[in-house]
Formats: sequence, C-alpha cells, structure tokens
Amino acid sequence: MEEFIQQLTNGLAVGGIYALIALGYTMVYGVLKLINFAHGDLFTYGAYLGLTLLTSLALTDRLGFTLGMVVLVLMVMGLVAVLGAILERAAYRPLRESPRLSAVVSALGASIFLQNALMLIYGARFQVYPDNILPTATLNIFGLYLPLMRVLIVLASVLMMIVLYVFIQKTRIGTAIRAAAIDQGAARLMGIDVNRVILMVFLLGPALGGIAGLMVGLYYGQVNFTMGWVYGMKAFTAAILGGIGNIPGAMVGGLLLGVIEALGAAYLSIAWKDAIAFCVLILILIIRPTGLLGERVADKI
Amino acid sequence: MKKRLLILVAALGLALGGGVAQAAETVKIGLMAPLTGSWASEGQGMKNIVALLAEQQNAKGGALGKPIEVITEDDGGDPRTASLAAQRLTTKGVVAVVGTYGSSVTEASQAIYDEAKIPQIANGSTAIRLTEKGFKHFFRTAPRDDEQGRMAAQTIGKLGFKKVAILHDSTSYAKGLADEANALLKKQGVDVVFFDALTPKESDYTAILTKLKGANPDVVLFTGYYPEAGQLLRQKKGMNWKTPFIGGDATNNADLVKIAGKEAAEGFYFLSPPQPQDLDTPEAKAFLTDYQKKYNELPPSIWAVLAGDGFRVAVAGIAGAKSTDGDKVADYLHTRLKNYSGLSGPISFDAKGDREGDVYRVYKVDAEGKFVLQKL
Repeated sequence: MEEFIQQLTNGLAVGGIYALIALGYTMVYGVLKLINFAHGDLFTYGAYLGLTLLTSLALTDRLGFTLGMVVLVLMVMGLVAVLGAILERAAYRPLRESPRLSAVVSALGASIFLQNALMLIYGARFQVYPDNILPTATLNIFGLYLPLMRVLIVLASVLMMIVLYVFIQKTRIGTAIRAAAIDQGAARLMGIDVNRVILMVFLLGPALGGIAGLMVGLYYGQVNFTMGWVYGMKAFTAAILGGIGNIPGAMVGGLLLGVIEALGAAYLSIAWKDAIAFCVLILILIIRPTGLLGERVADKI
Repeated sequence: MKKRLLILVAALGLALGGGVAQAAETVKIGLMAPLTGSWASEGQGMKNIVALLAEQQNAKGGALGKPIEVITEDDGGDPRTASLAAQRLTTKGVVAVVGTYGSSVTEASQAIYDEAKIPQIANGSTAIRLTEKGFKHFFRTAPRDDEQGRMAAQTIGKLGFKKVAILHDSTSYAKGLADEANALLKKQGVDVVFFDALTPKESDYTAILTKLKGANPDVVLFTGYYPEAGQLLRQKKGMNWKTPFIGGDATNNADLVKIAGKEAAEGFYFLSPPQPQDLDTPEAKAFLTDYQKKYNELPPSIWAVLAGDGFRVAVAGIAGAKSTDGDKVADYLHTRLKNYSGLSGPISFDAKGDREGDVYRVYKVDAEGKFVLQKL
C-alpha cells in the first residue's frame, strides 16, 4: 500500500508536467485544427532560458528565493510566449488558407529548426542547473518520503490549470477563444478578431509549456536540446487520451498518463512502461474514439 | 568536332583526377566519434586527443614519411548515423579508423569497415559480441564486458553485499554486462533480487527507484551510462534512500557528478579502467601535461585516452607493416605488436582483436565529487 501511494505521487508529478505541455497542443488544435509539433521544443526553450536567466542574472541571490523565483517564472513565461507568437507569425499564419497538411509540414520544420538552433547556441552537451537553488527538504508523511519540490510541482501545475480554466470560461477573451474553436467563420461574423484569438492561444500555450520546461530543469537539474521530443510526444499522447481540443481533457489525460506509466512500471515491467501506456491509449481510443472527455464537441476548448 | 571535344574533356578530366591524387600525399586516419548527442563530451575528448597526437606524430615525421591527416566523422552516438559515417569514411580513402564509444554504435559500422578492409580500432565498445563475429580488421583498446562482469561480481563479493539489484538500460552494452554479472553473482551464491531495464533519456526515474527500494537490496548495480546514473543518484537522494549504487565503466565521466550534485554522488562506486590522472606510465604523464597545456583541462575520461591509444596503435601498425594496406596492418597488429607501450599500459591484441591483460579498477566518489581509486 505504501509503495502504491508512493508510485501514485511519482506518477502525478510527471503527469502534471505532461498536462501543462498537453494544454498547448490541445488549445492550438481546438482553434486551428493544427498539431503544433514545435510545441515540445518551446518546452525545451523554457528549460534553457530558465537556466540562462538563473545563472546570468543571479535572481535568487539578489531578490531572495521566493521573489527571485516569481520573477524568473514570469520572465520565462513571457519570453517563451513571445517565441510562440513569433512561431505562429512566421510558420503558421502564412499557411492559414493552405491545405492542413502544409501547416503540419511547416510545424515539423519549425521543430527541427528550433531544436538545432538550440544545439548551435548552447552546444550538444548536457546543461546542468546549479544544484543549490531549490530547497532539498523531504517531507515525511506516515513513512512516505515526498521531496518538497515534487509536491510543489504538482500544486503549481494544478494551480496553473485552474487559472487557465477560469480564464477560458469566465473572461471575454476566453469566450472569444471558445467561440473561435467552435466555428471560426461565425465568430468572425460576430465581430471577433480571430487573428487576435489565435495569437492569444499561441501566447498561452507556449507560456505554460515554458513553465513546464523550467520546472523540469529546476527539479531534474539536467537539460539537453532533445528533451522536448520525449516530453512533447508524451504530452501529445496525453492530449489525445483526454480528447484533443478539450482543455479539461488535456489535464486529465496528462495526469492519467503519468499515473499509468508509474503504476505500469511498478506492477508490470519497467522496460515495458511506455508500451503499457500506449496500449492503454489504444484501448481508450477503441472504446471512445474521441478520447476520454472528447464528446462535448460544443464545449470544445 | 564533337569527338575532339569529348577527347579534350576526357583528357581534362584525367589531368584533374591525377592532380587530385597527387595532392593527396597524406596518410589518412579516420576518427569516428560521438561529437553530438548524449555522449558528446566523450566524442569531443576523443577528437581533442587524436588531434594532439596527430600533431605530435607529424612533428616526428608522420607515418611512412608522409604527414598524417585525421578525418573526423560524427556518429551522433546513434547506430544509424554511425553506418552513414562509416560509409563516408571508407569513400574518403582512410587507411585505418579509430572509434567509436558505444557498443551498439560500433556494431553498426563493423561490417562496413571490414568489407572495405580498413582496420578499425574501437575505444569504448566493450560488448563481448563485437569480437566474436570473426571480423579480421576489428580491434579494440577497451576491455571486454565479461572481464568487467567478472570484476563487478568480485567487487560485490569483496564489499560483502548479499542481496543485489541489477538495472540496465536495454542497450547492447548495458544488457550484456548485466547478464554477465547476473550469471556470475548467482554462481557466487549472491541473491539477485531484482533485474530489469529503464528507458534511457528520460528525466524521471522515481517510479523505478521506488520499485527498486521495494525489493530491498543491499546494493544496486546499474550497468548503463552516466546521464541516467546521475539522475538516479539525484532522485535516490530526494527519496532519502541510502542503499549504495555501483556503476559500470560507462558511468565514468565527470558530468555524472554535475548531474547528480556532489552530495548525491558521494559514495557511488564504479568499475573502470584507470582514470586519466591515475595513469602512471611516463608516456601517459608526459602526454597528459601536453594535453593540459593545449586544452586547459584533463581528458573527460579514460575512453578518450583509449581512442588516443587506438590512434597510436594504428600508426604503429602502419609503420610496422611498412604499408597502408589494410590486410597487412591487421596482420601486424594481430601477430607482431606485442606489449606496445600505450598511454593506458602495455597493449597486445589476441587473435580476435581483443586487448590482452587486466585493466579494471574500482573507484568511489568522495564528498568533493572526485573519483578516488579504491584498494580492495
């Protein structure tokens, strides 16, 4: 039982990261029906930008830990969001009226470009975050060892998901995003600036992906320029698992995928962990082709 | 008129061709190394060492009176890239090839070099299979996994551990070593309570660590590479789990401590041929001084030094055979090169192309993150 709960928390921490990245995939898909393959690389940029800002500005030394972290998080979110907007402008907007396949190829090209640019800037070696930044305290709850940071990661991801959900449901721009997701043409006729909505989506998704990258960098300490691929793949899977285009679906899908992986590794086989996760995905898609929460088409995004 | 033009073009072509052949008055030695990818730091070290040795050798007159030219190809630490790199090197007219680091990567290139009759001297590839295929042109300056497996079982015995967990990463190297150690440990009467593989290149291994902890071993033998070993140690500390880890020789890289952090890395044992700074031959000491002068650091690991030995052996083979013919060089290395004084100690090859003699040592990471040679 103790091991089960431990594995459950392991899975939730990884799943929280998957969910944050999956949100970027699912929002873009909801509005544009486009799978943004470069999203995983924006996640990697978050991790690298965080490292550079942290080491070159020494934020935590100058502003103290809490304030320094807040500033760091905001800077990374802002920069990656800008990067996402540039990506939309350069790689997707010129292809808005082209067949969907062209945009997908453009996404793959953007992914390769971003990844290699990162390699040329930082080099191919592993980059390592300074190891004395985060508190290394470990909570001991009834014999369960939970590193404090893991708990914070899960809390932070859940918090961000809730903020996003409220933003989409309750604000004017959120309503506009939902409207554009249902029918772009009709939304335009109602006076919604669809280009602005798409820009908004390309600011929000990358900002969350960038935060996920920063959290992975801070917690696991090592980053490399190809890390976005594995995470991107898993997050994309999570988005489909929950029903792509659906925001709560991406959250549930991410957390679920993390937990399936952890429990699969624990009770079946570590080496088959990924195979187990993908088998579950296939099973769910056979039973519910639209994903877990994918049926509420009217409520998309 | 047309005919004449054709002849003219053909003559021009011949003249140009001849010109190229004449300009190529160098002995070309290929280096295949992981300059990018997860093992890039190994590859950069290999490249630096071979470049320095080639410079020194050229100052002494090169090989067969001609300067040596090193042609480097990146194998990316990936078998598919490696087979392309091997094909490129064979078409560039190299007479011998040094490299590479990973066993599965080397494996993808072996047949290509053998078919082209180009001697290949691998530096980091320790999987047993590589020399069991009967390739006449394949050599390695690295020891074999079965020797490492023997040393692992012996060390675990000497340190008095009774319950062992074995973890590999499904690469041919790590799986081979894990299987070998598993068989020998069982023969010694040590209880192997866990045997499984992780997926390399992930960042979160807590699910695996939790499962390992549940098996309650005295020690964990991890046979994979340093990026994963570093993560395992870091996350093991986060779980407050104190059981010691022993690594195979692929964990021998200074980046291990950077990834894990000093505190988490402390107490980690690993098996390896001696560290560059623990090499005690006069030649090695002189070379390390030169290396530090040129690059302001020590070589990243012994594997880069073994690439240097591969290069020196290739040069010695060409000089000894008085030819750049692949068959003659390979024959010379197999039969007549005995106790050649390499940087990492005496080098001789057996009929399979394996290096003869005992090279493994046991190391432990201290509180400063330094690798300290252990006497057991």
